[in-house]
Amino acid sequence: MRPEVQRLTREQVGGIVKMLSLTTDREFNCGECLQHVSEFAECQLVSQPVGEVIAKVEQHLALCPECREEYEALMKILKAGQ
Amino acid sequence: MTQNEINWPAALRATDSGEQAAAVRALHDVLHTGLRIALTGRSEVSEAHLEDFAQESLLRVLDRLDQFQGRSKFTTWAQAIALNVAFTELRRKRWQDVSLDALMADGEQMTEPTMIADDALGAEEDRTRLVATLRHAIENDLTPKQRAAMLGELREMPFDQIVELLGTSRSAGYKMLHDARRALKQRLHAAGITGADIQNAFNL
Repeated sequence: MRPEVQRLTREQVGGIVKMLSLTTDREFNCGECLQHVSEFAECQLVSQPVGEVIAKVEQHLALCPECREEYEALMKILKAGQ
Repeated sequence: MTQNEINWPAALRATDSGEQAAAVRALHDVLHTGLRIALTGRSEVSEAHLEDFAQESLLRVLDRLDQFQGRSKFTTWAQAIALNVAFTELRRKRWQDVSLDALMADGEQMTEPTMIADDALGAEEDRTRLVATLRHAIENDLTPKQRAAMLGELREMPFDQIVELLGTSRSAGYKMLHDARRALKQRLHAAGITGADIQNAFNL
């Protein structure tokens, strides 16, 4: 087995498993997430349910730490403006 | 006129150069203020950085004006773009001297599992089988690029840095990782490991 695979910690394997449990056939990529994240954030701000398309933003945010970091920063701005 | 009352796309496209310049200045201020709120407390971000991010974001927003579809407030849409610009640059700086090879060859020690449930009866056997199947699949079912991208991501390397090192685009890189995850998922299913097994073994 390749060293880099052998060296995977069980915590990292757990991370992969979590990613797999969230994986679906059709997902947003980061660009698509960015296109829709503002709409998703505004819905979240007022606890409004989101439609099927926007729900894909939530699924992408669960998988992508970078988009999640940007989303959380966006929520910080929106909350500051309330 | 307040921010919410401005028809931003129209003002930014105004043929009256005075009106357009005023809208551009106002948008700059909105972006700058938002970035300050979002990035406050980060020691690596100076006033000069904030101004650079605001300027670059402004140009990006103006360049993408046609992509705004009015499904959110214009300022929320523009702030999302500004944050993407700023965070992408901050991540690039943090990781600029790290290669993917170096990242994969680090001397990381095996650690005890911290997120794995130990209280589920019979779960240890499930975990052992699942982990062995997964390691085998990562080794044998993924392409070298897929494996490198996944390992880089697990080590929290920024995705932009990964795709740059792999010589691919962001969208192609995301598809590559998505295909890798689907391949691993199919392998687990083929081995008779169900979603319930995974949830039980890893307490998800």
